[in-house]
Amino acid sequence: MMHQKMTAITALEHSVEIKAVSKTFGAFHAVNNVSLPIRAGEFVTLLGPSGCGKTTLLNMVAGFIDPSAGAIHIGGVDVTNVPVHLRDTGMVFQSYALFPHMNVFDNVAFGLRQRKFSKSEVTRKVMQTIEMMKLSGMEGRRISQLSGGQQQRVALARAIAIQPKVLLLDEPLSALDKSLRAQMQVELIEMHRNTGLTTIFVTHDQGEALSLSDRIVVMNRGQIQQVAEPIDLYSNPANGFVASFIGEINALPAAIYQASDREISLAIGDIRMTAPRRPEWKFGSGEMVKAFVRPEHVRMATSADAGSNVVTGEVLTHIYQGSHTITRLRIDGLGPIEMRLPGGDVVGRVPVGMPAQIAFDLSQVILLADNPN
Amino acid sequence: MTRQRPFFVQFLVPAVLVAVIFAAAMFNVLKYSFLEFVPGSLNVGGFTLENFTRINRPIYYWVLLDTFILSFATAFFALLLSYPISFALVRAERNWVRSVLVVLAITPLFTGEIVRTYSWMLVLGSDGVVNTALKSLGVIDRSVPIMYTRVGVVIALVQFAMPVMIILLATAISQINRDCEKAAANLGATPNTVFWWVTIPLTLPGILSGFVVVFAWTMSAFSTPQLIGGGKVLMISNVVYLQGFSSFNLPFAAVLSLVALFAALGSLALMKLLTARLEQNMATS
Ligand SMILES: Nc1ncnc2c1ncn2[C@@H]1O[C@H](COP(=O)(O)OP(=O)(O)OP(=O)(O)O)[C@@H](O)[C@H]1O
Ligand SMILES: [Mg+2]
Repeated sequence: MMHQKMTAITALEHSVEIKAVSKTFGAFHAVNNVSLPIRAGEFVTLLGPSGCGKTTLLNMVAGFIDPSAGAIHIGGVDVTNVPVHLRDTGMVFQSYALFPHMNVFDNVAFGLRQRKFSKSEVTRKVMQTIEMMKLSGMEGRRISQLSGGQQQRVALARAIAIQPKVLLLDEPLSALDKSLRAQMQVELIEMHRNTGLTTIFVTHDQGEALSLSDRIVVMNRGQIQQVAEPIDLYSNPANGFVASFIGEINALPAAIYQASDREISLAIGDIRMTAPRRPEWKFGSGEMVKAFVRPEHVRMATSADAGSNVVTGEVLTHIYQGSHTITRLRIDGLGPIEMRLPGGDVVGRVPVGMPAQIAFDLSQVILLADNPN
Repeated sequence: MTRQRPFFVQFLVPAVLVAVIFAAAMFNVLKYSFLEFVPGSLNVGGFTLENFTRINRPIYYWVLLDTFILSFATAFFALLLSYPISFALVRAERNWVRSVLVVLAITPLFTGEIVRTYSWMLVLGSDGVVNTALKSLGVIDRSVPIMYTRVGVVIALVQFAMPVMIILLATAISQINRDCEKAAANLGATPNTVFWWVTIPLTLPGILSGFVVVFAWTMSAFSTPQLIGGGKVLMISNVVYLQGFSSFNLPFAAVLSLVALFAALGSLALMKLLTARLEQNMATS
């Protein structure tokens, strides 16, 4: 593989630093005091609901939008006032934005030609990138003669051909259908491994974020909520927003009535339970908190479960999903709770309308302060 | 079809009427072109092919060529002048700039052709605005002739054609995927390169259709060359007029009209072919 690690050596010098950047439109804070250092070669994902400022932040890194405050450094250099065409970033647009009047080769060659490479150098680099993006044989095709997935690959090839200091991907997969998206995710991972490019990836698809990223930046209303590795984000959300945004979760109001160094005892409605204390929990006795329990951490109670952790609820629905079944129950004083049971477990299913005894996986309960943010 | 659109037939009536009347008129022109001219009379004689042989004279070729050249020049300069205006019209950040440009660009459409042409006569005449200004600036010391020249005619024709050109170009420019321009800049293209290598090619279909429309339109220009050209600049319509309404040679006027019509149709077809290929290439899936 001749293209392997083609930028590995130079990539070490490159990194991006977003320093206290804000962007206001009128009185509206689209991006609010965001700071984010990105290591060279890292794959970082900006994740958040629609309108949270992901595209705005990415556009500020690329130079399409000037920050209202703060600074952006690329490769150790302050580029806040450097125009777009001198920033050396590679952006892939949601609309691909391929040049319809050029063929695949010329699209991929565009950035290289701006950099005044010799003709043979351009050809060599273009063919190398085209090969890496599995587009060999399509160099002469018009953009209109390509499928959506192929256009996507051309867009990526065009951006990585120039070996930018940072690759910026704004929801590049959102226009593809589900199976193609899964395939492109794999190719993105391979591309990143092959090129070692520092990458900022924007998505509002948490699954995509969890499977692709070295680190995920969760944003909401223009602000960073949490920056963490995927596993950490899922098992250790920093606040209620992150907990509910990443994966499914039951949010239950809880009161702490006893707190020791090792255990915390909670009352969730009428239910009393004791969970092992996590070091980051600073709550004391008498405090109101939110208890978050993922559906996969709720199960049917067995005789082994301690009485205090067992809750009786009424089964509302079963939603069969192949590999698993989502069961919704109503528990008096708490409202609905979702649990996730392995798919083949049809025999043991409690019929709808009947009471079922469930238990929480107490070591997995997440407690967070009971404020909106 | 008709069941889904109950008014379809009724809605077609006016169009069909216009088409029928137009076809009848064209048929008459065709008929006249084969009839004998009787000097000193508005009546025509029997069948003849003489009108068609009569056209085989240098003067008529020159008029046709002149018409082509003037139309081409008009389309070209209208394009050159309209593009920046259309661009500003679409891209201006401030609403009021856009509004002002729209008003300036479109209002000429609502002043009559004759009024506009007379205004140009005032501007271009030997004591007109242009000459007076140039003289007082010391650029020239004697009036340069603009009236009754091809330059004068083209100037007036360009202004006449610009509103249409601006509208067509503005439509094309507003339909560009601006991410393409952003992508080019992102890949290192200077604003200049972006304009010439992305913006212009992406608006090429609009540029071509604007050019074709103005070209075909100018081919049939009459009052502007008549008044500004003052008989010294002849376009095909002026010759048709001379033949038909000065010499009352209606059969020959009919032949000239047909020639003009087919010349216009021919060039339109040619340009259409060009644009069709371009559009096919530019189409995104
Ligand atoms: N030019 C602008 N003028 C005014 N408001 C803007 C402008 N651009 C963006 N905004 C606002 O800023 C907020 C953030 O926009 P942005 O496009 O960054 O969101 P996003 O996170 O990319 O959302 P999505 O997932 O829908 O793409 C939105 O509320 C948007 O309406
Ligand atoms: Mg966006």
